[in-house]
Amino acid sequence: MSIELQNIHYSYGKVKALNGVNLTVGEGATGLLGPNGAGKSTLIKIMLGFLTPAEGQGKVLGYDVRTEQKFIRRLVGYMPEDECFIPGLDAVTFTALMGELSGLPRQEAMKRAHEVLFYVGLGESRYRLVDTYSSGMKQRLKLAQALVHDPKLLFLDEPTSSLDPTGRQEILELIGEIASTKDIRVLLSSHILADIELICDRVVIINKGEIAATGRIEDLKMVNYQLYELRIKGELNGFRRELEEAGCRVEETEDRLVKVYTPPGFDRRRIFLSAARNGVQVRQFVCSQTSLEDLFARVVGVD
Amino acid sequence: MAEVREKGYHHWEGQLQDKGRMFWPITRTGIKLAFQRKRFKFLFAVSFMPAITFAVGVYISERLEDFKFMAQGAERTLQVNPGFFRTYLSLDFIFFMILLLMALGGAGLIADDFRHKAIQLYFARPLTRLDYLLGKAGVVMFFVGLLTLVPALILFLLKLLFSGSFKFFLDYPWLPLSIIIYSAFLMVFFTCYVLLASSVSKNRNYVIALIFAVYYLSEIARGIFYVIFRSPYSILLSIPGNLQQVAAAVFQVKPALAVPWYLSFLVLSAFCLLSFFFLRRKLRGVEVIR
Repeated sequence: MSIELQNIHYSYGKVKALNGVNLTVGEGATGLLGPNGAGKSTLIKIMLGFLTPAEGQGKVLGYDVRTEQKFIRRLVGYMPEDECFIPGLDAVTFTALMGELSGLPRQEAMKRAHEVLFYVGLGESRYRLVDTYSSGMKQRLKLAQALVHDPKLLFLDEPTSSLDPTGRQEILELIGEIASTKDIRVLLSSHILADIELICDRVVIINKGEIAATGRIEDLKMVNYQLYELRIKGELNGFRRELEEAGCRVEETEDRLVKVYTPPGFDRRRIFLSAARNGVQVRQFVCSQTSLEDLFARVVGVD
Repeated sequence: MAEVREKGYHHWEGQLQDKGRMFWPITRTGIKLAFQRKRFKFLFAVSFMPAITFAVGVYISERLEDFKFMAQGAERTLQVNPGFFRTYLSLDFIFFMILLLMALGGAGLIADDFRHKAIQLYFARPLTRLDYLLGKAGVVMFFVGLLTLVPALILFLLKLLFSGSFKFFLDYPWLPLSIIIYSAFLMVFFTCYVLLASSVSKNRNYVIALIFAVYYLSEIARGIFYVIFRSPYSILLSIPGNLQQVAAAVFQVKPALAVPWYLSFLVLSAFCLLSFFFLRRKLRGVEVIR
């Protein structure tokens, strides 16, 4: 396992940021999904040893998060959410410095700095001062410094924030390639569902400092609920109430499409029976392909 | 023969080192960044003027007969003894140049890392707070050492060279050690002073103002307290005053004021200790807002 956390608690003063987080992350790319303020960045900072949990224990790549942070940081690459760099340095010197601080010999650090800068698409501008870089270039540079020492595990904290659509697509493709072909495990923290769905095969949904759901994205979509999309004629309220009493979640979109999320083992014939009882005509009934957005909305409890 | 590889990402086959000198890349980068500034290079060159002047003084002191026409009555001032070295190492101009160079090359050492959130990049590596601090301290020590320790030792060697004998060394065998001790003290003090100032604000301009303000306000405070209380102990409030008192003790010359040197030493040491603890508390991989 890459990451094993048990009962992690952390508070910022009186505000509880993490409340008994249990987490296991294996191979491949895992998405850490949650709304802003859910505790994603705090969790990453605990795994890096920046913050010490008030309670609980955990291991990253076999090393204890409380006592062996130095070993963890040697094997982990971290791409922070913030725009961060050392002013006055060109990209290649900056990346080489980060490599050297990770334990690469000086010459090797410089060699790898050139390589990773080409890899992330900054080859032509690697001698430019990082101060003069655009936001997109700075994102790529942050990815390069995280990769320079050939980490076993990458923590990417909101890697597509402040990027235009093209830049976002390009950086996601890079991350996808790293996760799928470079034998580097990736933990991608984001509140952008599409990013996670594109890159990751597993997801951990965190909400208000607690793990709301975890597992393979496909499995979560299948196991936790089924989504049916209906178009009806008649009064929705009674129909909705009855379905909700049966454990379903019912939503109506602006174009009057009714989405019914049913719990596991729910017999879909009950929807028709309920409609008949409430004098509602079902004019369209589609067993819908659920998206990560649906899953997220359901476990986090937002529309 | 070197391997020809395709451009792209490759795994690194080597072993990451667990170096004892993790601070060195930070120091090297800090020195390089300081020299990137044109004004810094100019001032750095200017700061060696006293050393050159003193070197000429050492030469003339050995050739007084030849320079009699222009050095009349200068026998006393051109006497090379421990006081000569103390004068060099506690010159107001040297202190001013140290402050000026550190304002240009040292103010941003920590302030820039705070401002551009680079601290988390450092601490996401196997780097301790002490490694980081030593790395930044190395930059200040390098420049203060170049302005104090190196010229003073060269002046000592020049004295031996120009005199053509070891008599000076035999007269004052402890002098090289005094030079090293006092220079090291200056290096430690100015390192703590500059790093503390640099960690107080994210804005390097404020840091520059702070570096000069605290130094000269301490001297003004000394003057005010002296006027009010007429006590020589007011010198304990002054940074340059304390440095000069310690210099007098290290070089075994009479201090300017009859205040025990160890009090000045204690004041400056306490300042260094407090700075160190403040810096350790201030530096974290992440800014925790409670």
